[in-house]
Amino acid sequence: MDRNKRSTFSEKLLSLLCREEYLEEILGDLGEYREELSARPKWQRKVLYWFHVLNFLKPWSLKTIEGSQKLNQYGMFKNYFKTSLRSLRNNALFSTINVAGLAISMSVGVLMILLIEEVSSFDDFHSNRENIYRVTSTQIQGNQGVTVRQATGSYFMADLLSSQFSGVEDVLVMSNSPVKLDLGTEEKAVPINCHYAGESFFDIFSFQMIKGNQETALSQPGQVVLTATAAKKLFGDADPIGQLITAEMSSYLQNGQLAQSDLEKGIVSGVVEDPPVNSHLRFEALISLKTLELSIQQQGLSHKTNPGYVSNLLVYLLLSGDADPLIIEESMAAFLEGFNSERLDNPLVHNLQSMKDFVTSDTYHSTGPTFSRSKVLVMIGLTAIVLLSACFNYTNLSLARALRRTKEVGVRKVVGASRSQVFSQFIVEAVVLSLLALIVGVFLFVFIRPQFLALPDPSARGFEMFELSIDYWHIFYFVLFAIVIGVVAGVLPAAFHSKLKAGNAFKSEGMPKGFLGAQLRKILVVFQFTLSIGLIMCAVLINDQYQYTLDYDLGYETDDILTVDIHGEYANVLANEFGTLPEVSQVSKSSWVLGVGGDGLNAGMIFTEGMSNRALSLINYIDQNYIGMHQIEIVAGTHFEAPLSLGSSPSSIIVNEAMLRELELGNPEEALGKRLIYNGMNVSIQGVFKEAVSIGLTKKFIESMAFIQTNRESDYKVLNLKVRSEDIVSTLTKLEEIHARQDAVNPFTAAYYEDKISESYKYERSNYSVISFLAAIAISISTMGLLGMAVFTTETRMKEIGIRKVLGASAKNLAILLSKGFFPLMIIAAILAIPTTLWIVENEVLNTFWERAPVNLFELLSGFLAVLIIGLLTIGWQVRQAARTNPIDSLRSE
Amino acid sequence: MEKEHLGELEELILLLVVMLKNDAYGFAIRKALKSQAGRMVTIGAVHGTVNRLEKKGFVESNMSDATEVRGGRRKRIFTVTASGKRALERSRELKLSLWMQIPEFSISNNS
Repeated sequence: MDRNKRSTFSEKLLSLLCREEYLEEILGDLGEYREELSARPKWQRKVLYWFHVLNFLKPWSLKTIEGSQKLNQYGMFKNYFKTSLRSLRNNALFSTINVAGLAISMSVGVLMILLIEEVSSFDDFHSNRENIYRVTSTQIQGNQGVTVRQATGSYFMADLLSSQFSGVEDVLVMSNSPVKLDLGTEEKAVPINCHYAGESFFDIFSFQMIKGNQETALSQPGQVVLTATAAKKLFGDADPIGQLITAEMSSYLQNGQLAQSDLEKGIVSGVVEDPPVNSHLRFEALISLKTLELSIQQQGLSHKTNPGYVSNLLVYLLLSGDADPLIIEESMAAFLEGFNSERLDNPLVHNLQSMKDFVTSDTYHSTGPTFSRSKVLVMIGLTAIVLLSACFNYTNLSLARALRRTKEVGVRKVVGASRSQVFSQFIVEAVVLSLLALIVGVFLFVFIRPQFLALPDPSARGFEMFELSIDYWHIFYFVLFAIVIGVVAGVLPAAFHSKLKAGNAFKSEGMPKGFLGAQLRKILVVFQFTLSIGLIMCAVLINDQYQYTLDYDLGYETDDILTVDIHGEYANVLANEFGTLPEVSQVSKSSWVLGVGGDGLNAGMIFTEGMSNRALSLINYIDQNYIGMHQIEIVAGTHFEAPLSLGSSPSSIIVNEAMLRELELGNPEEALGKRLIYNGMNVSIQGVFKEAVSIGLTKKFIESMAFIQTNRESDYKVLNLKVRSEDIVSTLTKLEEIHARQDAVNPFTAAYYEDKISESYKYERSNYSVISFLAAIAISISTMGLLGMAVFTTETRMKEIGIRKVLGASAKNLAILLSKGFFPLMIIAAILAIPTTLWIVENEVLNTFWERAPVNLFELLSGFLAVLIIGLLTIGWQVRQAARTNPIDSLRSE
Repeated sequence: MEKEHLGELEELILLLVVMLKNDAYGFAIRKALKSQAGRMVTIGAVHGTVNRLEKKGFVESNMSDATEVRGGRRKRIFTVTASGKRALERSRELKLSLWMQIPEFSISNNS
């Protein structure tokens, strides 16, 4: 009852909007309705009540607006709106140009709004989002002194945090990198990405359990929680709870990682919903952390007590609402004092990172998809530039056409319009136009959305991150956005018109010469040209580098080589079986694909005898056929020719020239026979091979590379087949059949070398697509602007052209006359754009490539030439129009 | 025949106004509509319809005395006018005559 007495917001709203004569009964009925609703839950009550309130806002109930004291601006805006529509209709060509340009750039803007919205709502389904933090570790790693920040913590710190800190409500320890296990039942096994997760997983995160008890689901060794999808894969529609499950390591690095825990007797303890697309954490199954701890214990490893063991564990904290993360960071530093005192030059620092920053963090290596803040900024920047360019089109054309509207403005002023009123009139006009453009832009967005979502992005780590679906409440943002764009585009013309003196408006000359308009227009046009030239150049340069990279001489033979991934210890059998096929002339085994990398990529420290020098090197385990098959050039010594006898360990190594330099072993001949130590093995240099591309042109942080011959099957991850076949499809089918006999779990994946290599540069490819798309947008916007300007100049100079024609001017003369204004602008734009773009491309875009394609003159001028040609065509078209008209038509009247 | 035509919801509400007599106001009509016809409409829709009916001259309204139940607010009670009654009768007759012309349908329905 109490609620009814004071007037609520809904009542105020209704009394403001509804007619007096209906108000009393409306409020009365709503009051009764509220009573009726009181039995329902609170949210339903609110929703239903407001639904009814809003339903009263109908034409019959609303106050009429005209004549009402409060809204006396309405009439004026209505008039502005009308004049805007009329002037848009009267200048159909210019309106079309403006709407089209704005719509194209707005489609990108809409994409941007949705993208930012989705990035900022990442992980928002966690009810504790505000209070979830993770521990990060910063330390210098490697001998080159790179400071590495990781999103991981240690057992040591996790234990301290849960026992010694106030303000920490809960601690969760998880394994960082997903372990790909072949989870299986007696009938079948499926490769599934698993994380080890501690008991408190479901207390901290809000992933919903579908089946099972979330309190106890991860509390015992051997417990496995499957996602709905994984459960479906393994058990179909049967109830998975309590089912026995086994796991086998498939592809997982052994070196220094937690790879020992084969799960022999797992039991499914729960089914959880699949992590949504906006989750930073992705998993297909969770295995209780106790499983891992058990095996650490059995092997007597010191992981739990070593504060320096920080590379594999995620440590999440749930802080209480009033806890200060800074204080916790300080106390963590205090606990590490003893540990750090022994490593003075390289202290380990723990920090806390808020859940809101998980997905946008730039430098932290973490699991799951990321989208760095700098990338968001670059995208916002590019979008803003494209949008500005479209706004300038409007500004330009309206300023150019200002002369035509001075009379209208003059009349308004004489009748008594104030400066601010004229100003708002032109702003309204621009906003109306930009709202029209928004509608078209949203339609265009629907077309670019799938293209954008299909772009490969390495930081997403193969996960889907975005949906970019439009919700009804996004429309509010879009409209706001369109209004802002309209204001930006319209502010200069509006300022110009509002400044106009009533007296001047009617004079035949219109306005004083050397007006701000002409100068400003030139600047805007130069900006647009610069942008188009720059973006086209970018696209050309990136594409050039991409082609160059694909054609780059890797230093070995790759023709007709098919690579087949293997996921278990069956390399020898499979190699023999493949070898029996007539199409396969050679087979070799290796741990990764040269020039590309892959799952089995190894790197390790190699020492000279006596440990005096060391080098971080890529290691490829190969068999005796590998070097011969790839025709890798050996500059000294020999390559592995005979198979290693069974059971004997590797005794020789083949290194590249970079390693000789790094280890200071002198020239290749001298180095032969020298002994090196790798991973506890004592090996002698059997050969030296010529520099070759190790893992692609973008990655050269490790220059040294070595081949070690092995006969351990677990080291082989790839089979390389030399295939000569007329009918590759049937060959692949045969290979697949053979593969399926050895590996029933993992699908058969084979690819030609060239495809593998181009696949490894897909990120550069996606950069190229984005830049060319933006270039296309920029060029079409500026072309439209140019067209508008050309049409306008031709129109206003129709009489002049007529007189010149009568006096004998040729079409050529006219062309020069009409276009000479634009060329200086294009040249200025080119002078500005070419060096800037070159600098940006060299230093920011293609700086990851250590081998750059040579830049030639054509590429430098590409953007300029493209803009020039398009400009010429546009102007030429107008000149043709002008030259063809009969001078009588333009001269007769008057 | 009068110009004003009677819509489906209008007819339903007009009948309810006749039925509810002295208690025919917006919220009560909505309740009756729910209980009698199983129709869920918003209060706003009921108000819109009765206002339309009033404009067409089928109902007239006057404000009741204030009651404690509605927080001191008065109700607007609607009563059906003569032309409203006529409109209802006409609509009924029209439907009846249409029914009469399709005997096979009515027979099969009754059997």
